[in-house]
Amino acid sequence: MDNQYLLGIFVVMGVATFTTRLLPFVTLTKSQSHPLLVRVGRVLPPMIMVVLVCFGLSSLQIESLDRLGLSFIALTAVTTLQLSMGNPLVSILVGTGLYTLGIQWLGIS
Amino acid sequence: MLGYVPLGMAFGLLFQSLGYHWLFAPLAGVVIYAGSAQFMAVGLLASGISYTEAFIATLLLNSRHIFYGLSVLDRYPKRGLSRWYLIFGLTDETYSLITAKAPRIASSHTYYLYLTALNHSYWIVGCALGAGVQSFFEFDSRGFEFALVALFVVLLIEQAKMMNDRWLLIVALCAVFVAHLLVPEQFLLVAISLCLIALLVRPKRDSLNG
Repeated sequence: MDNQYLLGIFVVMGVATFTTRLLPFVTLTKSQSHPLLVRVGRVLPPMIMVVLVCFGLSSLQIESLDRLGLSFIALTAVTTLQLSMGNPLVSILVGTGLYTLGIQWLGIS
Repeated sequence: MLGYVPLGMAFGLLFQSLGYHWLFAPLAGVVIYAGSAQFMAVGLLASGISYTEAFIATLLLNSRHIFYGLSVLDRYPKRGLSRWYLIFGLTDETYSLITAKAPRIASSHTYYLYLTALNHSYWIVGCALGAGVQSFFEFDSRGFEFALVALFVVLLIEQAKMMNDRWLLIVALCAVFVAHLLVPEQFLLVAISLCLIALLVRPKRDSLNG
């Protein structure tokens, strides 16, 4: 519970985030649209998302078969809802709600 | 746009599990202003991560923003304070809102500024609400960490909709698999690098018009 450490981490993460957003603006002053750059800019973000979904799943620390099943159900719910309704809020709330209910009410550990 | 309030609340609720004063949660919203990075921060702070590690992890997680900048480069103002604020506030959601609409001529900079400031304030309010509610009522927040995964899945689906060559997502999955096999501790960095290498090695397969 060290406030100084917490603030330090906030500042460091804030600077890192700003750096990633600033980089293209300072390195490319004119509208250089090299085809390779355009392509990387278009397809790399969704590829990174695949990596991040896996990263997020790994940080859930799924250690039992029940938890694996619960994660699968919640994931399916998020995907189905997002594909059919396209409302991020609904998809995230329902998915997280299912997962939370499974853990808190059904006692899945 | 209002999606930012509940998502911020989820962060605030989770953040309270660390035991800091609840006002730090909206402060994170002001200073960091990155949904996924803040969710990750909860885990990082709990494990007592070093400053250097936090810096690198955030760079990696947000490296996708580099490519957002590329596509709004010409739309953003060339100078002035608003330029810096707009860049600071270029989150996933703001980016998708800005690129979803065709740029209008004179009024567009004001519109972007308004959009960015509004998103930022929704986010801060959300963080404050979640953490405030949690500190007064003490919810059981087990399971809320799934919000991060759900957020990434939603972003993945939205970004994949605009993609022609979806086989690249399989490539990304393979990259994760290989990276996890080789360096389970650092698989985020290695997997993202592998994706980039794959794109550079095979620049244009079924490419730009495909």
